[in-house]
Amino acid sequence: MAETATIDRPQLSLWLEKGIGLAFPFLVALLVASLVLLLIGENPIDVFSLMFAESFGTQRRIAATLSAATPLLFTGIATAICFRSGVFNVGVEGALVIGGLCAAFIGFTLPAAMSVTLIPLAFGFAAIVSAIWLYIPGVLLARYEVDEVVSTLMLNFVAFGITGYLVNGPLLSEISGNNVTPLVHEAAQLRRLLPPSTLHAGFLVGVALVVIYGIWTRRTPSGFESALVGQSKRFSSAVGISIPTTIVLVMVLSGVISGMGGASHALGQLHRFADGFSPGYGFTGMAVALLGRNNALGIFLGAVLFGALASAGTTVQLFSDIPLDIVNIIEGTVMIFAVVELGRITLLRRRSGG
Amino acid sequence: MIVDQIIAASLTLTTPILLAAMGGLVNRQGGIVNIALDAKMLAGAFVAVIVSSATDGWFIAVLAAAIAGALIGYLYSLVITRANANMIVAGLGLNVLVAGMIGFVLNWVYDSSGTLRLPDVQRLPKFLPEFMYDIPVVGLALSELEPLTVFAWITVLVLPFLLANTRIGLWIRATGNAPQVARAMGISGRNVQDFSTAFAGFFSGLGGAHLALASIGLFNEGLTAGRGFIALAAFYFGRDRPIATALVCLLFGFLDATQIRMQTAGLPPKLIGTIPYLMVLVALCIAGWRNHRRKAVSS
Repeated sequence: MAETATIDRPQLSLWLEKGIGLAFPFLVALLVASLVLLLIGENPIDVFSLMFAESFGTQRRIAATLSAATPLLFTGIATAICFRSGVFNVGVEGALVIGGLCAAFIGFTLPAAMSVTLIPLAFGFAAIVSAIWLYIPGVLLARYEVDEVVSTLMLNFVAFGITGYLVNGPLLSEISGNNVTPLVHEAAQLRRLLPPSTLHAGFLVGVALVVIYGIWTRRTPSGFESALVGQSKRFSSAVGISIPTTIVLVMVLSGVISGMGGASHALGQLHRFADGFSPGYGFTGMAVALLGRNNALGIFLGAVLFGALASAGTTVQLFSDIPLDIVNIIEGTVMIFAVVELGRITLLRRRSGG
Repeated sequence: MIVDQIIAASLTLTTPILLAAMGGLVNRQGGIVNIALDAKMLAGAFVAVIVSSATDGWFIAVLAAAIAGALIGYLYSLVITRANANMIVAGLGLNVLVAGMIGFVLNWVYDSSGTLRLPDVQRLPKFLPEFMYDIPVVGLALSELEPLTVFAWITVLVLPFLLANTRIGLWIRATGNAPQVARAMGISGRNVQDFSTAFAGFFSGLGGAHLALASIGLFNEGLTAGRGFIALAAFYFGRDRPIATALVCLLFGFLDATQIRMQTAGLPPKLIGTIPYLMVLVALCIAGWRNHRRKAVSS
């Protein structure tokens, strides 16, 4: 009896911790945003309810929110897949941009007669190139212990440089002026799900990936092993899990998902590649992964939440002239407090353990 | 003539990176990889323009920028050392947060999106006597020399001594390189790290002030253009040694200065811009490969 009780209790408190963990950073962010709003003499509750109405009020607004959440589904998973193995990959942004360019390239160079086969080709090419892109820092980390934070961060800037050069030079559209590639063929464009809004089929791909990610993390040996590597490297290698293989695997998977995210954004949203392709989807994806604690459902909710913020932010600026930057303030605070919370939990554990 | 211009431009463009890199390397010696240098530079530039316009004094503006940077750095450090936050994520979050705050203030208080142009912004003074401007080759660079550039290079020369021979320098290095030893010596690692992060913020703030006040005298949201990350690249490549890092900064400044000229020679500036980051990747690979081989030999 006593034993079952001790097994039950940590379970319950674990769930409680998880719940608080999800809500805490966001509550702090709302608090910070409220303070800012109070400072400028706005009623935070009014602003937040307006934002809520603007992101979930009508079917059209919900579609806009989900549309804004689409790239974040991809970048959230791509980040989480590495974070849960203790690999600090901050290169999702660069891989997404590279993937977007590759998909657009397939979309406008191959003959239009190939019709819908263009879409899987574009996704596949983007996934492969982005996977190779992140394979490099993965191998460097696995074999030579090259710090992955710095290498992936640097690769982001290299990605911006290369794509920026290509859209201003060799791949520049001849008809539409600056910094954009030509439009992809109509057949290569992803279908819009609710026509007036920009919500496109890429959202469904993203949701499918979230489900696959959830199954992979919970039901497959490699998903389990990679989580174990994140928990304890020494234990993992003691039970025979190859740490270098795991590192390379999660980096390549992260690249595949980032590349598909880029393809989805290029073929579904912009229908081309443009300079400034991503306003930091990779970094917001990091906030999403942290907020969702690398959990599939958590990532989905986190992505929708940030999508809502982004879609509400633009309209709130129109209606109440509250600067759009309030969204960045919330996002930054969430990122900071998402990791602060991790620290608090380990402190609590240590105290209760010792 | 062209040589004069390149020397002058390289020197000017090096200073902000150099200041931030000096702060960042001290921070990294103390065990914190400061990924939020860019945020502090941006904040420094913003504060510098506002204070310079309000007080009519460049020195106060520079000081205020440095203090603003140090304050943000200190808060960032508290999050890391007291609340055990992961420094990379917190740093990236801080970059987003600070950019958001500045954009918000810019939009709300000054009713402008992106650029802040204020009246009577005092720029950094050129202080050398005019007869020196006629010196061949370096004359142009001398004519544009201002106090912050001089201060940055003095720091480069003094910092090795400070790190090697003073108590606080030793504390910082001990905290970063041998935390157990530091603890055994009774050094409070957290306080030392807080100090080193505030120090990095102070210098990044100075770098930001230089960006805003050296020549243009206005603030723009894209003013730093990732220079905080270039500074990070510089001290990674310079392996946290002040003089080596300064030379790397000079190289990056030179690349920045020659970008436009290279464009006319047919080299795309966007690709030239990736050179600092590629250099760091190569340096990391070489260092990793060396470690790997050393381990293979010893085992």
